[in-house]
Amino acid sequence: MNDPSDLSTGEREYLLAFADDEHLVGSRHAEWIGTAPFLEEDLSFCSIAQDELGHAIALYDFLTDDLDRFALLRAPEEYRSCVLAEASCAPWDEALVRHWLYDEAESLRWAALETSRLAGLAALARRVEREEAFHLEHSRSLIRRMLHGPETARATIVDALVRLLPIAQSVWDPVEGEADALASGLCSMSSRQLGEAWSGAINALLADCAVPPSEVAAAEPSGASGSSRLRRSDGFAAYLARLQEVISIEPTATW
Amino acid sequence: MKTYEVFLKKAGKDEFQHAGSLDAPDDAMALLYARDSYCRRGEGDQMWLVERSHLLVADETILAVTHDQPHRHNDGSVIAARRRAQREEVTS
Repeated sequence: MNDPSDLSTGEREYLLAFADDEHLVGSRHAEWIGTAPFLEEDLSFCSIAQDELGHAIALYDFLTDDLDRFALLRAPEEYRSCVLAEASCAPWDEALVRHWLYDEAESLRWAALETSRLAGLAALARRVEREEAFHLEHSRSLIRRMLHGPETARATIVDALVRLLPIAQSVWDPVEGEADALASGLCSMSSRQLGEAWSGAINALLADCAVPPSEVAAAEPSGASGSSRLRRSDGFAAYLARLQEVISIEPTATW
Repeated sequence: MKTYEVFLKKAGKDEFQHAGSLDAPDDAMALLYARDSYCRRGEGDQMWLVERSHLLVADETILAVTHDQPHRHNDGSVIAARRRAQREEVTS
């Protein structure tokens, strides 16, 4: 158990944004349990969903002593997740593209925590990066195959990119606390820096697969101030209510 | 999609065991899927994959002969019975 009092308010907000992203992406991925296009991918995708939820738990652990209530029973406006993490992605191609766009971002965010002033967080980042290498390989391999595949496969990925690339920028909307987290050495890179590295990685793979920028929206970091993380995307409250269904039956139950 | 057979081996003297099979679009994805399908809880320390079309499969005519050769079926029962008889002879 980590001691939540180790963190300043800004640092807490910074970690909360990351934790909520992991939580929401993990939950959204898990919607594909039993319905992914083939069994092997179903198992892999669910395993990735489980990893992301595991990361969320590990991050929430720095913020609370009451994990379930904190993760599930906050009011919608208290979450700091980004639009990309919250988005409902169907059909499968969109879920796959979100997985790729998110994991490219996620691995950069963990790398920025590797040298954190908080030893427990730095150790967690180094452990998680081993998992992230597999997540990235998985998503990049499938995206490449589909973009190099038959025209219909390529088209579904391009369509999904057109929808998701613009909202993927939301990952790099910093929370106000980021300034504190950078100043204290909790993290080592700003969202703007990470966003630039992310755009480079996204554009490199697309170029490699002969997808010109004109065909999909350009992946440039927004760098906008005033975070979209303070606003929940449409349908969030209803989705959160679904996540709360089981815990709401008996909020004091111990699992 | 291609079909692959997956084999796992634990550390130590245990031999490779057939774990199961899977479908994957290529070798690299097959390795990822094999890990997630058969080895995500550390079930093996080594893993082999072989594309099913690369397996040499024996047909019935090759195997039929061995079913009909009782002199090769040494399960030790004859020797065990002889030893038991000898032990009984000594103790009686």
